[in-house]
Amino acid sequence: MADGRPEIPKLDTSVPQTARIWNHLLGGKDNFAVDREVGDQIIASLPQLAENARLSRAYLARAVRYLTGEAGIRQFLDIGTGLPTADNTHEVAQAVAPDARIVYVDNDPLVLAHARALLTTSAEGATDYIDADLRDPEKILDAAGRTLDFDKPVALFLMGILGHIEDDAEAKAIIASIMSRLAPGSYLAMYDGSDTSEANNEAVRIWNISANPKYHLRSAARIAGLFEGLELVEPGVVPVTKWRPEADAPEIDQYCAVGRKP
Amino acid sequence: MSKTAQPNDGPTVRRLQLGARLRSLRLAKGVSRDQAGWAIRASESKISRMELGRVSFKERDVTDLLKLYGVDDPGEHERLLALAREANTPGWWHSYGDVLSTWFQNYLDLEQAAELIRTYEIQFVPGLLQTDAYARAVIMLGHGTASKEEIDRRAHLRMARKQLLTRETPPRLWAVIDEAVLRRPIGGVDVQREQIEALLEASKLPSVRLQVMPFSSGGHAAAGGAFSILRFPYPDMPDVVYIEHLTSGLYLDKREDVDAYSAAVGRLVIEAEPPDRTPEILEQALRNLKG
Repeated sequence: MADGRPEIPKLDTSVPQTARIWNHLLGGKDNFAVDREVGDQIIASLPQLAENARLSRAYLARAVRYLTGEAGIRQFLDIGTGLPTADNTHEVAQAVAPDARIVYVDNDPLVLAHARALLTTSAEGATDYIDADLRDPEKILDAAGRTLDFDKPVALFLMGILGHIEDDAEAKAIIASIMSRLAPGSYLAMYDGSDTSEANNEAVRIWNISANPKYHLRSAARIAGLFEGLELVEPGVVPVTKWRPEADAPEIDQYCAVGRKP
Repeated sequence: MSKTAQPNDGPTVRRLQLGARLRSLRLAKGVSRDQAGWAIRASESKISRMELGRVSFKERDVTDLLKLYGVDDPGEHERLLALAREANTPGWWHSYGDVLSTWFQNYLDLEQAAELIRTYEIQFVPGLLQTDAYARAVIMLGHGTASKEEIDRRAHLRMARKQLLTRETPPRLWAVIDEAVLRRPIGGVDVQREQIEALLEASKLPSVRLQVMPFSSGGHAAAGGAFSILRFPYPDMPDVVYIEHLTSGLYLDKREDVDAYSAAVGRLVIEAEPPDRTPEILEQALRNLKG
């Protein structure tokens, strides 16, 4: 144990962190004063945001159930895991298919420590945890290969994370480099905030004054553009509340889509 | 996460829960502590103590406060009054009152109600993971002159507490232990070996996550000492930090204190060896004992 321990990233409670702000907005307790301060400022500007966060998580769970159920997917690559909450990807997937295998990827050391301890697999399935940045798809793919079989379909999850990549060309290049390694019949599922209201634009402006890393809203058309080369699953690019909803819900400024690699 | 009362909770948790709820209701209504105190013929500081869960509740006071705060939903009204009643009903562990100080009874209340227990130990195996022989050795260190009967009773209580981890919906115990815990032969080599084997078994339980802080990690986050942070399945209830001293226990639930200890435990779980390495580390510790 004495030698060869890699440099361990430090916990920084002086700068607000995305995962911890979302944890606060979702009513969690794994956040610090700086995170609550930013979160409360954003909520003051956009009271709807906490509910949006819950509705987006609910979409994630429906997407997992669709993919494990109808689409028969058994492998998930979930980049931008965030702090554990209710209905984590592996819990929803393994409730349908206990043998589902899930690789969680995040670059926040606190998220990874929580994931390793709390997002633990069923006996039949598997979970693994990778410390990597979305901008380093090669590192992600190499490490995910320990747990996932790339000869079989994989669902790539980019939930609320592509907003951190401002440039569409860069976002498309990241998606392409991952999807190109995945088997035909694989999926991309995502959601992100959309520039569909003045209030949402203002909330993101406040977020970007202090939160790390910064976030950028896209239009529904730009989100659709990220699915180039993939077949969109019905109902296409829609607000998260309108993607195969189980109950009637209003449209919100969070758009999503699921696409299949032909 | 459930908002309804759990059968495992003791009076301390009920008081904290009811206090936190009354505080939220008061703030939502924009009522000052002074005004609230007036309504129940008491002082501002009485309201403060009630909201912090430090005192028991009279049903009449709760009824008057709910009226002041405009709570007219009979369901909510009855739920909060039930909490007030249960806040006066002791849990099973209170029958060990002869060997338990009040501060430790309060801790057991909290432990039974927690959904997540994060704990850091630098000297001893965490109480919930101790074997009978190891527990007796630790108890002897603190109560060397006690009668055999008293030591039996203390050890028996510690073993009864462990049922927590195998009950139907157990809390998650997430423990970080210093490597020193594995090296120090409390109670002798045989007791230590049996204890490490028990840790190996416990680390396979879905409810237990154990991480070891290796000596190779230098001055790490919690330079202070052992502590626990308990989390409860109630959104209104803050995490509670518990620090055990020789003759008393200290509880912290102010946001800035909880933040400081959460940051410490955050640094510990980041810097310690990840949980999936624990079996290998425990097996090495066993080989070292035999060495």
